Amino acid sequence: MIQPAVELDGIWKRFPGVIANAGANLTVRPGTVHAVLGENGAGKTTLMNCLAGVYLPDEGQVRIDGVAQRFSSPADALAAGIGMVHQEFRLVPTFTVAENIVLGHAPRILDMAATEAEVANLAERFGFDVEPDRPVWQLSMGERQRVEILKALWRDAKVLVLDEPTAVLTPQEAVELGEVLRRTVAEGRSVIFISHKLDEVVSFCDEATVLRGGKTVASSISVADANASSLAELMVGEASIEPVSVSVSMPGDPALVVKNLSVLDSRGLPAVQDVTFSVRSGEIVGIAGVAGNGQRSLTDAIAGLQPVKSGTIEVMQADVTQASPQRRFRAGLAYIPEDRVGVGLAPKLPATENAMMREYRSLRRGPLLSWTRARDLCDRIINDFEVKIGRRDAPLAGLSGGNLQRLLLGRELSSAPDVVVASQPTRGLDVSGVRAIQRLLVQQRDEGTAVLVVSEDLDELLALADRILVMVEGRVVGAFDARATSRVEIGEAMMGATA
Amino acid sequence: MKRAVLRRREQPLRGGQPLAFVLGLLFALLVGAVLLAVAGDPVLETYTRMWDRSFGSAASLSSTFNRAVPLALAGLAVSIAATMGLWNIGAEGQILFGATAATLVGRIGADWPSPVLIVAMLLGAALGGALWALGPGLARAEIGVSEIITTLMLNEVALRLIRYLENGPWKDPDGFGFPQITAKPDGAGLGVLWERTHIGGLIALAVIFGFAWLVNRSVWGYELRLAGASPKTAAYAGVSLRRKVLGVMVLSGAVAGLAGGIELTGTAARLNESISNGYGFAGIVVAALALMRPSGVAVVAVLFGAIQVGGFSIQSLGVSAAVSNILQALILLGAIGAAVLSTHRVVLVDRKVVA
Repeated sequence: MIQPAVELDGIWKRFPGVIANAGANLTVRPGTVHAVLGENGAGKTTLMNCLAGVYLPDEGQVRIDGVAQRFSSPADALAAGIGMVHQEFRLVPTFTVAENIVLGHAPRILDMAATEAEVANLAERFGFDVEPDRPVWQLSMGERQRVEILKALWRDAKVLVLDEPTAVLTPQEAVELGEVLRRTVAEGRSVIFISHKLDEVVSFCDEATVLRGGKTVASSISVADANASSLAELMVGEASIEPVSVSVSMPGDPALVVKNLSVLDSRGLPAVQDVTFSVRSGEIVGIAGVAGNGQRSLTDAIAGLQPVKSGTIEVMQADVTQASPQRRFRAGLAYIPEDRVGVGLAPKLPATENAMMREYRSLRRGPLLSWTRARDLCDRIINDFEVKIGRRDAPLAGLSGGNLQRLLLGRELSSAPDVVVASQPTRGLDVSGVRAIQRLLVQQRDEGTAVLVVSEDLDELLALADRILVMVEGRVVGAFDARATSRVEIGEAMMGATA
Repeated sequence: MKRAVLRRREQPLRGGQPLAFVLGLLFALLVGAVLLAVAGDPVLETYTRMWDRSFGSAASLSSTFNRAVPLALAGLAVSIAATMGLWNIGAEGQILFGATAATLVGRIGADWPSPVLIVAMLLGAALGGALWALGPGLARAEIGVSEIITTLMLNEVALRLIRYLENGPWKDPDGFGFPQITAKPDGAGLGVLWERTHIGGLIALAVIFGFAWLVNRSVWGYELRLAGASPKTAAYAGVSLRRKVLGVMVLSGAVAGLAGGIELTGTAARLNESISNGYGFAGIVVAALALMRPSGVAVVAVLFGAIQVGGFSIQSLGVSAAVSNILQALILLGAIGAAVLSTHRVVLVDRKVVA
């Protein structure tokens, strides 16, 4: 048998409150493009960071060409032939392509003309179309990515790790990238291709390893023998968490009504396109979709954090399309944002000040705040929602993910809202945290609240939701009765591009 | 192979700031002693003189406190802006324009009763400073123009305005043709506590405590802290970041402007372009030493004032101005350098491990 180019054996990596890798394995043969597949939060990026020297794994072994390695920096990994292209590019915008490529690897006396010629040669060898003397700020995202890849090849990387390389590319650029990767492996190098887009994996990878919940669930399966739907099934897997018990819902009147909603992202590109749906009182509607298909813009627009281009949003029959976030809150809308820290909570401030964020305007006496009432409010939330906290006047920063989420949910739910919008409410939490949050959402529904849950965890949506909508590229492409659908059916709808 | 690196502490060391200041001071005095010895100046006598002239007598304390007032207010102005992550480096211009506005009030109300005139001049000064910061605040809040550039450039504008007034409309008719502005009215002298110590120090303390109280107790202050700690969270809670940016800039300008008013009514005879005396820039250092916390500004300002007063006093001993300036700079550098230790710790790490 040929010596594998890369072997990752039983990799564990823990972060405070989260286990990112729980004994993950990966074996990459030389001369192949190897896909690492998995949903968001499956531990793909962490595993690759362990390979590329960004993190030191807590346990497990990294072997390159059969030799055990312990990388304590990206430079170590690079010296052993591992070059990683991160999702966020690490280029100096004002430098030229050639300057960026040789940066940190330049001889003491730099002959720029000669270097540019060498870079041009290297680019031609791999079929790249780049101009070495162009400054990077003038380049498109696709071109910048090529510079990053060239940077790794310039350092003679034997294994190229690309973290979701097509996320920033147009479809045409993605096809070109595929050709470049084929040419790279033709020289005996290997490529590790992280993705959750199945059509790309099928079209330019040789083998695939699938991660779920930080573990390897399928190792080096041949892509030729697989198809998009079998891969989708592996990715989403069987129910990993026993679902909370959900009784049959008794939905009432529509509480949240979204009509023909379109939203632009910060670059002015369409993020949500002509979306129409409603959530009735006493019903949980789930939104499924691969990350980055407009879910975030949808919930932010509903909560009033992102402007609406066209369409309307109604909460309890009141049009709130143009209303400020706090007017929407007063209209009965609670929002659990995807970024619980940084949007939902301010980690530098103590629990009291985080707990009063929604209500502080009613806690005043004249222009002054009543701290007594603020502390009472905080204590009530801490008690009712079982937030485990040291001191309520210490900054939140040290709390675990589960406790932060309880505090956030507690604050949002303690005002008895009519509509709850929860974005990725259980992401990154441990099992008990996930169950507690899910139970709270179901309890809300049973009390007659309309609940909208966005999640990338299909098991969660299937367990919680009454109806599931699937979003692809900013549109709702399918609606399913959660009791009558399957993981595979929804998984295929999520991968819309293949259909 | 080990090497020393600085790691940020999760919490600044409690009480570490004063300790660091003292350590830095001692270090600077040691280095300064060598410097003085090399320059042929008497080390002990020089240091004794510095102490005497800054803290040694009622008159010395007077000089120190009077100097600390504009430093404290300028420092507060900078730290107010910093609560929203803004850099007001135009306190200098706001001091100048504040003093200009106070002079205008003085010219209008020259024969008002003294207390009324003084209050009006100080309010005018605060208003003038606020006005000087309004433009940069609006430009930052509405279209995102860097306040660092605009506030800095307006310093120069305020300076030129005074030069114009000196040579033109406000030129002193009794100045023997010398370009100077007419002296302030007789009733415009700030009350005195002892020696030359004017009540500006009390005003500055009131403003500092007032701001701290506002931040801790008012709805506005809570919104300000929220916006400063996490802008996205503030937007989520419905706080208008635009209005907070504008409010903070205007308040910062008003506090700096007030410093100009106090200088005019407290120590100066008339408005001139040196009335700001670098306090606006020194305020940045004061605020930085106080870790951008309003509460620390007063203490730092007194020490800073003492260093300046003491530093200048040794020139009469024959210590050259250059050595005196170097000594002042050394003490500041020492204090600032040591201050790093209260927010960071020195750790030894393996050469290869990357943080």
